[in-house]
Amino acid sequence: MTENNKYWKGIEDQSNPELTEKLAQNEFSNEVSSADFLGNDDAVQTETSRRDFLKFMGFSTAAATLAACEAPIVESIPYVVKPDSLTPGMPSYYATSMFDGSDFASVLIKTREGRPIKVEPNGDAPFNGATNARAQASVLSLYDGARLRSPKVNGEATSWSAALSAAKDMISASSVLISGTVLSPSASAAIEKLGLRHVSVDAVSQSARLDVYESFAGKRGLPMIRLEEAQTVFAVGADFLGDWSGQNFSAAYASRRKPGKGMLKHIQAEAGLSISGSNADTRMKVRVSEYEAVLATVYNAVAASKGFAAVNAPKLRADIASSVNATAKELIASGEGALVLNGLNSKVAERLALAINLALGAKSFDTTTFVYTAKGDDKAYAQLVKDIKAGSVDTLVTLDVNPAYALKELNLEGVKLVSIADREDESASQAAVALPLSHYLESWSDYVPADGQYTVGQPTISPLFDSKSAVEILNGLSGGTESAVELIKASAATMASEKAWNALLHDGFAQSEVPEIAMNGAMNGEMIDVSGINVAKPSTGLEFYTYTKAGMGSGANANNPWTYELPDPITRLSWDNYLVMSAADAVEYGVEIEAQSNGAMNGNTVNITVDGKSLENVPVWIQPGQTQGTIGLAIGFGRQNVGKVGNGIGVNAYELLPSSSALSTKVSIAATEVEHGFASVQLAHTMMGRKIVNEISLPTFLTESPEAWNEKPTFETHKGPMSAFEANLWDDHDHETSHMWNMSIDLNSCTGCGACVVACSLENNVPVVGKEEVRKHRDMHWLRIDRYYSSDMTKEVAEEEGVSAIEKYAKMEVPSESPSVVFQPVMCQHCNHAPCETVCPVGATVHSREGLNHMAYNRCIGTRYCANNCPYKVRRFNWFNYKGNEQFADVNPSQDDYGRMVLNPDVTVRARGVIEKCSMCIQRIQIGKLEAKKDGRILNDGEFTTACAQACGSNAIVFGDVNNPKSEVSHLKQEGRAYHLLEEVGTQPSVFYQTKVRNRA
Amino acid sequence: MYTTTSKLRRFASLLSVVVFMFSASSAQAFEGDAKNGKKLFKQNCASCHKLDKKLVGPALTGVTDKYSEEWLLAWIRNNAELRASGDEDAIAIFEEYNGSIMSSFTTLSDQDIFDILQYTIEGDQKVVPVAADGSAAVVVAESKDYSKQITIGLGLLLLVMVMLLARMKNTLRLVNGQDPVSILEEAGWFWGRLINNKGFVTVATVLVTVLFLNQAYWWMSGIGVEQKYQPEQPIAFSHALHAGQNEIDCNYCHSSARHSKHSGIPSANVCMNCHMYVDGSEITDETGNLKYDGEGSPEIAKIYAAIGWDSENREYIEDYEQQPIKWIRIHNLPDLAYFNHSQHVNAGQLECQECHGPVETMEEVYQYSELTMGWCINCHRETEVQFEKNGYYQDFHEELTEKYHDEKITAEKIGGLECGKCHY
Repeated sequence: MTENNKYWKGIEDQSNPELTEKLAQNEFSNEVSSADFLGNDDAVQTETSRRDFLKFMGFSTAAATLAACEAPIVESIPYVVKPDSLTPGMPSYYATSMFDGSDFASVLIKTREGRPIKVEPNGDAPFNGATNARAQASVLSLYDGARLRSPKVNGEATSWSAALSAAKDMISASSVLISGTVLSPSASAAIEKLGLRHVSVDAVSQSARLDVYESFAGKRGLPMIRLEEAQTVFAVGADFLGDWSGQNFSAAYASRRKPGKGMLKHIQAEAGLSISGSNADTRMKVRVSEYEAVLATVYNAVAASKGFAAVNAPKLRADIASSVNATAKELIASGEGALVLNGLNSKVAERLALAINLALGAKSFDTTTFVYTAKGDDKAYAQLVKDIKAGSVDTLVTLDVNPAYALKELNLEGVKLVSIADREDESASQAAVALPLSHYLESWSDYVPADGQYTVGQPTISPLFDSKSAVEILNGLSGGTESAVELIKASAATMASEKAWNALLHDGFAQSEVPEIAMNGAMNGEMIDVSGINVAKPSTGLEFYTYTKAGMGSGANANNPWTYELPDPITRLSWDNYLVMSAADAVEYGVEIEAQSNGAMNGNTVNITVDGKSLENVPVWIQPGQTQGTIGLAIGFGRQNVGKVGNGIGVNAYELLPSSSALSTKVSIAATEVEHGFASVQLAHTMMGRKIVNEISLPTFLTESPEAWNEKPTFETHKGPMSAFEANLWDDHDHETSHMWNMSIDLNSCTGCGACVVACSLENNVPVVGKEEVRKHRDMHWLRIDRYYSSDMTKEVAEEEGVSAIEKYAKMEVPSESPSVVFQPVMCQHCNHAPCETVCPVGATVHSREGLNHMAYNRCIGTRYCANNCPYKVRRFNWFNYKGNEQFADVNPSQDDYGRMVLNPDVTVRARGVIEKCSMCIQRIQIGKLEAKKDGRILNDGEFTTACAQACGSNAIVFGDVNNPKSEVSHLKQEGRAYHLLEEVGTQPSVFYQTKVRNRA
Repeated sequence: MYTTTSKLRRFASLLSVVVFMFSASSAQAFEGDAKNGKKLFKQNCASCHKLDKKLVGPALTGVTDKYSEEWLLAWIRNNAELRASGDEDAIAIFEEYNGSIMSSFTTLSDQDIFDILQYTIEGDQKVVPVAADGSAAVVVAESKDYSKQITIGLGLLLLVMVMLLARMKNTLRLVNGQDPVSILEEAGWFWGRLINNKGFVTVATVLVTVLFLNQAYWWMSGIGVEQKYQPEQPIAFSHALHAGQNEIDCNYCHSSARHSKHSGIPSANVCMNCHMYVDGSEITDETGNLKYDGEGSPEIAKIYAAIGWDSENREYIEDYEQQPIKWIRIHNLPDLAYFNHSQHVNAGQLECQECHGPVETMEEVYQYSELTMGWCINCHRETEVQFEKNGYYQDFHEELTEKYHDEKITAEKIGGLECGKCHY
């Protein structure tokens, strides 16, 4: 009874079905000319004939042979005095904290020979001990060559003492310090000591929401959400699995989404399709301007049931009113298990959400503990804008904010600038004094991310450049001479007095009792009563809003290639931002997307005007699930002065809408003649028309046996029906003795966030290839997260309605107006009967007795037969010498003397002309086994895991030894939900998936 | 600044000091054996004392002139007791050397101590090579390889015989009344026959081709194989001396071999653990004389230059700009091959020598093994897995024994030949 939703991979599949078919047939859309891959300007400029190519080949072979005759002299330089804690070849781990202005994470940093190379989650940490894609990528930002290398005064490099005294001379009583959220108590103390007026502003403002809690709890924070306690969650515009309150919900959400009785029900109402919306059981397409009305409607239903006065709620559109009312009923039925989350930066919306939660007694809505990762104050900022206009501010000190890029209302011409920044960005480049800020991996810091939580950040490497920690710079500006570590130590002595300094550094955090808060009135009717609140009337015209992407976030890693190369989980586009628009609007505005002959996607651009500010030639992506009449644009792009990677990519959304505005209804757009090329990974690896994601509903899961909804393919043979594991032509490998590595991927837990993709790239030195190559489907990710939309047309529906076969399949290609979305991480499936192995002419890919499919790069001669024969399309070909070819100098970190330091020394950097693919992190397996051998003990389950499984906050990926009956993965393999991808092909993969169960009838 | 400086102080304070000043009495006459004394001195005293130089403790030449025999006996045997008894001299010396404590040597007999003292009087005698009688100055005849000469000789002999035979044939022809034929004419005729013989030409062509290809194959497979590679190192470090003569365990310096993928070249501070006390001044040449005239060895001085050790004042130089020692790497595996020392040394329980050869006899280390993949594979085929006493293998061992019965369970049988075990 598998639900035969027809999933299609993107709207562009339909635009050119013939081409789509052709591309689906070809693993590689087009070939590379020899001149291109030689990667040399001279060669590229000439037309290279086959004859020339043979000459090149002959010459390079001879040269290589001659060069090989004499081995180069390699120096081996030991330490003069080796640090005691370091053994060359062995990693050291340090606990630290990451905060980039919006993302907070407690992390462990893996260092090798003193170089940080990997960010790993600090699982012991009680608050945000998980990493998202941005936290994973952040380590590369350390090795950014575009960082400011020394203090500068009027553009001239100078010493710290000179720069600080120049800055001090500029600062007066009428100077203002503007910063992002300051989470650090020591930095706050330093700011206080400095005595300047301090204004905080966030990249994504939560100011109005914060005002609500400030007025009733006296704390400028957002309530802690205990998702573990929730039964029904209704999120209105709140992408809590992506970016919302700074709290990481992945683990709690996944644990509550395990199928079974009492599984969390998730309903989402939103304008654009977000990660949360994609994971929801029910999703409503709501305009941004309707958010308040939706909340008011739910409030009125709740108020009616609890005997409170109703508010004046505008009438909802008929097509959402019934779902909202049904949702309200479900929330009321859930009682204290209900939870309403608001994502709109509006006092009214937040007040309504708070009132609903209080009225229902929502246990998961903790109004005594607050999260502080956003503290920006839009009112203070608006005042600053006025003051600067009036000329009453002489010097603006910016601390890790970039007003010239993000705060367009500030008139910087009237003030002198002192920039505390990590690079000469749009603001620092015009600052009188620029003070280089250390990366968090070079800094001492401390944070209070939430009530009762105190964490420290310790450096894992000496500063690469002449930079300092924020707290030291601030202290220096007020004349202090203490070093950063002294300041943090002093702060820790008061903040975490019960924990010894070394223990604090070892753990990275300390917990304390949450202080009681004095509330303005008790949790009673008074606070629930919101009657008289003025709920905004929904607009009817075009609406514009801004949002954040999984890779870019608020833009802290804007010069980090992994930020861009990671495809957006929803649109599956990389290296871009664009307006997302519904298909109906696209027709109205005459916007189209078309596939090109080389498999790339091109689309129309539009000129857009929002509140009188306009941008030209903004690309438009047609997004299923987008609410008609709304268009969104991601922030963080369109940088001019960030570095060679990020400069000029995308457009700056702040040009149109400031962070403080949730939406604008004064929007006009007009399509242009200019085409835009998208870097889409969508068509590259299609697996259409087959059982790829097995999806069922919760009632089916609870009432029927797995045989009914997770049917295993069988084959008729002369011996009778056989499973795909029994019927085969090949001899089986011996997998009885020693280990047998398997991986379970729970499609119910996977939120599609992309942390695993970045973690994999980091761990395995996966090259970054840049937009042009991604456009040609030559992306190199070993792990991709396929995203499928559903269609309303299914085989059952067709049968009922008597639709003809041709029409049925045509309609199956048509998306639902509101599609369900599923994510499926796909990496090498490590088939035990691998199609790739049989076709390799040189035996470069072979099987191991531990169930892995090995890839020996130095044996590979690049025929690509394996990739063509792989049913999962997970093999990647090195078309170029990414580490040396000039074409990739801007994007590939390994072409940079600094970026190269991030490479994992245990993994080969692949050469041009070889295939590569997921190795199941064999370097981790090997070292894990070796550690057990060295200790002479049995290898325990969970001692080590793959990079993707480690990065997965929701524990969707579980790796282990199925020959160990005690292992988690061996239990998961026995689950009724477990199935293999394309099991009927008979590849017998070592990776298996868990059926997706949606909590809806 | 230097953590090693404080380490030195600690170390020094644990050790000893002293012996000094006393009524100079030349009446001291020991029945001591300086030879035995030298041996004992090296064993017990040399880490802190030298004859002619201050080390941790004072120079010992002339010590017998300064102190009485009884005093010296008491001091050497248990100086702490002597100091406790309130002996002024003892306390003075103790204070002069900043309270560095000298170990007590209660196990030394009176005679032992006399022997040592005798050695401090006699010192290191210069040895003059004596040609006792003619036969003593033996020059070992070099064993020469004469095979080349023999080959040439045999060739010449063969040539002469051919000439003789040709002459004989011509003589016979003359006797038969035929014209004599020159040896060249005859050879030309013979060659003509050969070259026209298809069978011969075919065989010869095949033979030459095979030989050529064979040679080419061996030549090409030798490319990149740097066996016997013996680069000159920045310091003339002798493994023969350290690992051979002094029997220092390999793991003492290459300590990470047991823990890590790298065996590790010791950092200069590891060298200093010994070379803080051993500066090479006692090295003697073949004749037995001091090689550097009592000065420190210039090779050891390179360590001092790297780390910033002031050998005169015996302390680390403050704020010294340290210079790493740039050794030349001998064993270069390509980047595509992953090799882990601890896997082999620790889990596999291999001796270092199995791959690195008799390092303990090498003055200058060279690459002993081929380090080719064939060489690796071969060893993995032959080497048995060290299952014993390793808990990790407990279960596998039983399973494998059941499967392979009495066969040797080699690395190959547990997957040691799989590509991905070394290439990733």
